Amino acid sequence: MTKLFFATDIHGSDICWSKFLNAGKFYGADVLLLGGDMTGKAVVPFIHQGGKNYRVTLLEQVFEISTDDELQDMIKRVRSRGYYPYLTNPDEIAELEKSPERVSQIFAQEVLKVVQQWMELADKKLDGTDMKVYCCPGNDDMEEVDALVRSSRRVVLAEGQVTPLDGVHEMIASGWSNRTPWDTHREEDEDQLALRYEAMICQLRDPRNAIFNIHVPPFRSSLDEAPELDKDLRPKMAGQALKPVGSTALRKAIEQTQPLLGLHGHIHEGRGATRIGKTLCINPGSMYEQGTLLGAIVNLGKNKIENYVLTTG
Amino acid sequence: MTNLFVRKATGLVRSWSVFDAFVYALFSINLITLGLYSFSQMYYFGGGLIPALIVSALFIFFEVVVYAALIAVMPRSGGDYVWQSRILGGAVGFILAVTGWWFILWLWVPLYGDMFRHIVLVPLLGVLGARDAALWFAGTQNGAFTASMLTLMIVSIFIALGMRTYARIQKFSFYGGMLGLLLVIMLLLTGSPDAFRAGLERNAVELFGAQPGVYEATAALGSNAGAALPFVGGGLGLIFLTLPYLVFFNLWPNWGATLYGEVRGATDFKRNILGMGSALAVTTLLGILLLYAISKTIGWDFYVQAGGAWWNHVWGLTEDAPALPVWPYPALFASFLTTNRLLQFLVLALMSLWWFGWSGTVFLSSTRVIFAAAFDRLLPEKVAEVDERTGTPIYALLMMVLPSVVVAYLFSYNIASFQSLTLCSTLVIAVTYLGTTIAAILLPYRKPDLYKASPIAKYNVFGIPLITVAGLIFGGFLVFLLYEWILDPNALYGIGYSINEAGYKNGTSIIYMLANYALAALIYFGSRAARRREGIDLDKVHAEIPVE
Repeated sequence: MTKLFFATDIHGSDICWSKFLNAGKFYGADVLLLGGDMTGKAVVPFIHQGGKNYRVTLLEQVFEISTDDELQDMIKRVRSRGYYPYLTNPDEIAELEKSPERVSQIFAQEVLKVVQQWMELADKKLDGTDMKVYCCPGNDDMEEVDALVRSSRRVVLAEGQVTPLDGVHEMIASGWSNRTPWDTHREEDEDQLALRYEAMICQLRDPRNAIFNIHVPPFRSSLDEAPELDKDLRPKMAGQALKPVGSTALRKAIEQTQPLLGLHGHIHEGRGATRIGKTLCINPGSMYEQGTLLGAIVNLGKNKIENYVLTTG
Repeated sequence: MTNLFVRKATGLVRSWSVFDAFVYALFSINLITLGLYSFSQMYYFGGGLIPALIVSALFIFFEVVVYAALIAVMPRSGGDYVWQSRILGGAVGFILAVTGWWFILWLWVPLYGDMFRHIVLVPLLGVLGARDAALWFAGTQNGAFTASMLTLMIVSIFIALGMRTYARIQKFSFYGGMLGLLLVIMLLLTGSPDAFRAGLERNAVELFGAQPGVYEATAALGSNAGAALPFVGGGLGLIFLTLPYLVFFNLWPNWGATLYGEVRGATDFKRNILGMGSALAVTTLLGILLLYAISKTIGWDFYVQAGGAWWNHVWGLTEDAPALPVWPYPALFASFLTTNRLLQFLVLALMSLWWFGWSGTVFLSSTRVIFAAAFDRLLPEKVAEVDERTGTPIYALLMMVLPSVVVAYLFSYNIASFQSLTLCSTLVIAVTYLGTTIAAILLPYRKPDLYKASPIAKYNVFGIPLITVAGLIFGGFLVFLLYEWILDPNALYGIGYSINEAGYKNGTSIIYMLANYALAALIYFGSRAARRREGIDLDKVHAEIPVE
């Protein structure tokens, strides 16, 4: 029996990454799986005011920093929410406001710097253990992330691969999603997703014992319920109106293949578990901004799930 | 100057509309259903209703601050269950959440049913000429039970339709209900006491078969019942003693809280305060306006006496049946000021939307808690199953509906004095709120890193975190309410074990509430033991993974 721990959508949170690396020991898991969207969504400028003084606006509150200790504390605070601190000055900020390309470069630079640090931390922490760790970047993660994951000695990039987890269970993985209103890095039409899934499914030795580690949840699975948005990306009915936004191609693939387990993320509000035919599908959800690692522990048996539980770590 | 750069990433949405949040919070503290129902039952209190409304709103504003602050620190977490679990532990979180958001809702079903018959069925059937059916619903136990069953059916349909559709029903009900309330207030403000008295005599006889002289007879029965509730005045002490009854109506603005928001901050905190707070303020002001209009034309004394005459009989305190054989519904009274049956029907139909836009809330929150408990493996996986064809959570719904049928039966036929349990519906939820409030008070100290990195970290009062200060005020208010309900030193509420010799020692109420908590504890500790045998340690499910 293999015990796996799955978490997803940690969006640049150092705390969540550290917890993820420690989850194997904490929960007694044999395998760690990280679903997509490893990278953060915001850069927070630390604007130099002369001397040791910086002005930082975090979550719409202005902080005036005047000592090295305060600076380090604020950097830690910003990183704890998955945002990237960027030390700058008023002149550069004025330039950046006119140059979206330069902002994108800074984003890429900060994102990749942190992913690099994470891989180094994983290599250091997991050396001397037999823990297996697999990552599969998601639609919010730029493609350059893959190369950094590949460079790790202990973290395996699972995107597009059929990966044997033990003698019985194989895993297919993809972080690509169906179209979103945000035009993110890895999204495509449903027919292309279907081809992507089929290319992996046809390589499975025993599809009924397979794990589908697919970032986007299946359509109308209750794991894909997100606030309905208007054309200005404003939640309708104050967020009370939810609608399914999952992948129809994935739903069809699960219905036809009936794998043992589906592991999903993408919709942070969609925490839950459901069955599509015989397949157990799980979305542990995400609370990365609070440094809380939501996850799922699953005990895999032959032809069945021995047991599972969603965690709030 | 730029404070933050965000990139295109999934889930980055703009702020939701404060007006929409206001609408849902306004329906949660529903002036027409909860408000008028409780006002009529409060006929024997000595504190002025208007100052009581204002004082209660002041305290409940701190509830708004507490919940808005918790949402700002832990958005999208699912509410009380997660907040309490994270800060106070899994057992406390589970027991308080399932009792306050699930079990006690079984008792709310016959209350929703009671309001359904008095606000929707009876007035509309009466004005449509179906006198016998109206009186059957209004005055028989079978009618009460049937209204509860119809409520269950309607609410189950809302669940099957899903939150997206129900949110639209609520929005439609808001506009329709507001139009109805405007018409009611206009009718009352333009009417006169004489016109009302004549209209009551004419319509009560024609529509509901009352005997001529219904006005005088109702006033006399009300006086005999001890009708005393003043419009204003009464002294601060008496006003405070009114609050534990009044909060049945207005303790719930947080039910409309919006849990979304990412990479934003203090604005969302303020928006949630604005959404819930404005609903509280507007409802309070509308309440004052409606009560003023009632006092102007119906007459305050008569309004209170009519409530006394009705409930004194329903509660079995007198054998004298009320002269007006239907619940004294102010919108029905207002409709008596016109002789146009179509206008009467229109007013009452629009006012019924206050019930339809609100009733779905009875199960929606419960379903979420049942699902969350199933995902934590404290309930069988099956209960979170959703029927693929209809999208209905059949088993979760059954776990609401089946116990509700039993409780509705006990309530409708008043078995073991079950009708005396009305305020228990509020007490148990107040205990859950107290758990959340304690979690809020402790949050900056128990989870300092989480708090410091939150959008509310800079809000302090004399150096003490705002969430702690607001929590202490609201928590103090809840403790006062619980003291009054449970020990009932002035023999006013009838749901506890009164320390007043003349007071009621309500064994049914105490057993019922304790049974709720015992059942929750049994499920939690039983499930924990069962999962441990399967190799799952539920204590670890809510435990924080070490970071280092």
